Amino acid sequence: MDFNLKTKQSDDRVKLLSELETGGRFKIIKINAGGEIRRRLLDIGFIKNQEGKIIREALLRDPIELEIKGTMVSLRRSEARLINVVEQD
Amino acid sequence: MNIPGDQMQRRMRRRFGRRKPAPGQNIIRIALAGNPNSGKTSIFNALTGQRQHIGNYPGVTVEKKSAIISVDEKHVEFIDLPGTYSLSAYSLEEVVSRDFVLHEKPDVIIDILDSTNLERHLYLLLQFQELGVPIVGALNMTDEANAKGIKIDSDVLGSILGIPFVKTVGSTGFGIDRLLDIAIKVAEKQIESNRRHLNYGKRVELAHNALIETLIMDDSFESRYSMHWIAIKLLEKDRDAIEKIKKEHHLSDLVLQVAGELQKRLEKQFAEDCEVIIGEQRYAYIHGAIKETVSLPGHSTGIDFTEKIDRIVLNRFLGVPIFLGIMFVIYQLTFSFGNPLADGISIFFTRMSLFLTRVLPDGPLQELLTNGIINGVGGVLTFLPIILLLFLGLSFLEDTGYMARAAFVMDKFFHVFGMHGRSFIPFMISTGCAVPGIMSARVLANRKDRIVTIMVSPLMMCGAKAPVIAMLVAAFFPDNATLIFWNIWLFGWVTAFLIALIFRKTLFKGEQTPFVMELPPYRRPLLKSVILHMWEKSSEYIKKAGTVILAASIIIWFLLSYPKPPLANNGFYNNNIPSVEYSFAGRMGKGLEPVINWAGFDWKIGVSLIAGVAAKEVIISTMGILYGIDEDISAQQSHVDFMVKDKLKNDPAYSPLMALALMIFIMVYIPCLATLAMVKKELGSWKWPFLQAGYTLLVAFIMAVGIFQLGSLLGFG
Repeated sequence: MDFNLKTKQSDDRVKLLSELETGGRFKIIKINAGGEIRRRLLDIGFIKNQEGKIIREALLRDPIELEIKGTMVSLRRSEARLINVVEQD
Repeated sequence: MNIPGDQMQRRMRRRFGRRKPAPGQNIIRIALAGNPNSGKTSIFNALTGQRQHIGNYPGVTVEKKSAIISVDEKHVEFIDLPGTYSLSAYSLEEVVSRDFVLHEKPDVIIDILDSTNLERHLYLLLQFQELGVPIVGALNMTDEANAKGIKIDSDVLGSILGIPFVKTVGSTGFGIDRLLDIAIKVAEKQIESNRRHLNYGKRVELAHNALIETLIMDDSFESRYSMHWIAIKLLEKDRDAIEKIKKEHHLSDLVLQVAGELQKRLEKQFAEDCEVIIGEQRYAYIHGAIKETVSLPGHSTGIDFTEKIDRIVLNRFLGVPIFLGIMFVIYQLTFSFGNPLADGISIFFTRMSLFLTRVLPDGPLQELLTNGIINGVGGVLTFLPIILLLFLGLSFLEDTGYMARAAFVMDKFFHVFGMHGRSFIPFMISTGCAVPGIMSARVLANRKDRIVTIMVSPLMMCGAKAPVIAMLVAAFFPDNATLIFWNIWLFGWVTAFLIALIFRKTLFKGEQTPFVMELPPYRRPLLKSVILHMWEKSSEYIKKAGTVILAASIIIWFLLSYPKPPLANNGFYNNNIPSVEYSFAGRMGKGLEPVINWAGFDWKIGVSLIAGVAAKEVIISTMGILYGIDEDISAQQSHVDFMVKDKLKNDPAYSPLMALALMIFIMVYIPCLATLAMVKKELGSWKWPFLQAGYTLLVAFIMAVGIFQLGSLLGFG
């Protein structure tokens, strides 16, 4: 219950990772996925409160490269859409 | 401490390549684990030397490398586990790794970690520790960490995790002897490596302990597995662990019920899924350990080397041209150096065959030797230079770290057709030759991606189809030869993409595999690893695919030469009937004529196409024989080409429309035997080459009939 309220309060600040521009910094709030994709994201370091930065995008703006836990990781935009973040300055 | 003298002495006592210990003698078994990009291969090579045994894990096509060496008269076996990020049940490699540890119970696991990226790499180490086998951690790439100003207190880290750590540099061999020494001592229980799993926090621990209470009600189950591990995996809803309970635990219903209730309670407490809770606890634990033992340099040291290169190589607009340029260089290197060498091998075998024809008496034995065996062996070996060069190029791409970038750059274009960016590599190589092309599909980690790519790669115009198509184009479309040739080349690509998409929508539909992928830092490839890799792949090719290709060439030779035509009155073969016409293949061609006639083909084309299954370039030489072109001249390929072209052009039975149908048929129909043998080797089952031969034949036939019938209807006949 408590948890749900919190997300609602900050709703306007919560974005999808796929919506961020190149160069944008973010902090992960939640991952809206299950099964293999969630596990892979978890294994490579996508966890709550983890910070990261979008480094670049490929020719057709997909996939994207980002930096997380000191590593460069690439994601398809469709996968980035599953990740809720807040933008950092 | 590593004293040079000590190292020397140690090396002298280490002997590589001991095959089997004497019966009854003890053997220490060490498994090597680690993330991809942890430098695991270089450590494995440094520990074991050159004599490695390559096989598969039982029942699956995951490659298993092992080696036995002797150290101070003790036998030590190393088993290389697949490189993975985690030990979940989602990929074959992960299940293979953990089943190996659970069932084979190695004496110790050496987990190799990238010291510059310890957090992510410890995440895997902790999961191995949970399996209940003692661990030694190799803090690899210590030199890079030093250069970056990362300081790791390995003793404190060791005491926190209860595991001994050794600093190593795989590329120079630094620390390898100490690593081996410590691993042996741990295996012999002289050094303690803690089997306690990490602390997951109060709530998870409570649930975990409660679950263990239920689990240990089955004694025999308890004796087989680490209870810590099973409990954690059940809380994570790991499907493989659930299977194990269902199959092997007496009280499976109770266990699963208890696990379900505990999960619900945890999920309510954390407002999060159990798998995520446990994963995050792992990271939290690691974070704590790292905070106490690793000191990072003050603020960032500017842009690093990798990022400098990536700014150009992964630039939005330069990325694709740079990738195509690199592929062009590898393609050129492979085929422009490889083809002359292949020709040389081919000429050598032709000469040998001619020599034996002269020396041996005429008869079936001579024919079997020259046309069957020597031809077959030659056919196997001609691919060798190309395979060696191809793997030189691919190892270079993989070892430098560029391969992941290639996937990044190309992914979108391939993803539209349900494929992965890396599929470009096997496609491109297949335009030279599908045999190495199919081998190169190993760059695809996911099995479904790999199967789809392998199934469609032979649709490309390869080096053997090209001369046949060129000859037909020259014979029937002399005015637009180049244009038509390149359109057919393009047709190969388009068909491959479309059929891949169809496969994805039908046979291989379902959840797409995630693209989530690390872009590792660029590293200088090690010459030794590259050469070892080339050697492994080539010897594997000869041993596994070679035997099948040889057997199949003999069968095709037999079909084309037997039965012999009856002797004429004078005791010689009747020269008016080419023996091919009389053979099984000839009869098959004639028998098929009513059916292939729908596409406008006569029996001669039918026989040539049957022969073409052996190798596509054989289509021309078979036509040559059927048209009675003197065999002495046929030693000169260009001459046969010219003569066949002339015969075809002047044969009133053939039209440009039929030629078009024929070219499309040749592009699509059954891949050559060498390719099929390779598909079997790479995918591990005969099912795949049969499916491939079947679907390509069907599609080719439908296309050829469609073109011919429609064209005739429109009056192009």
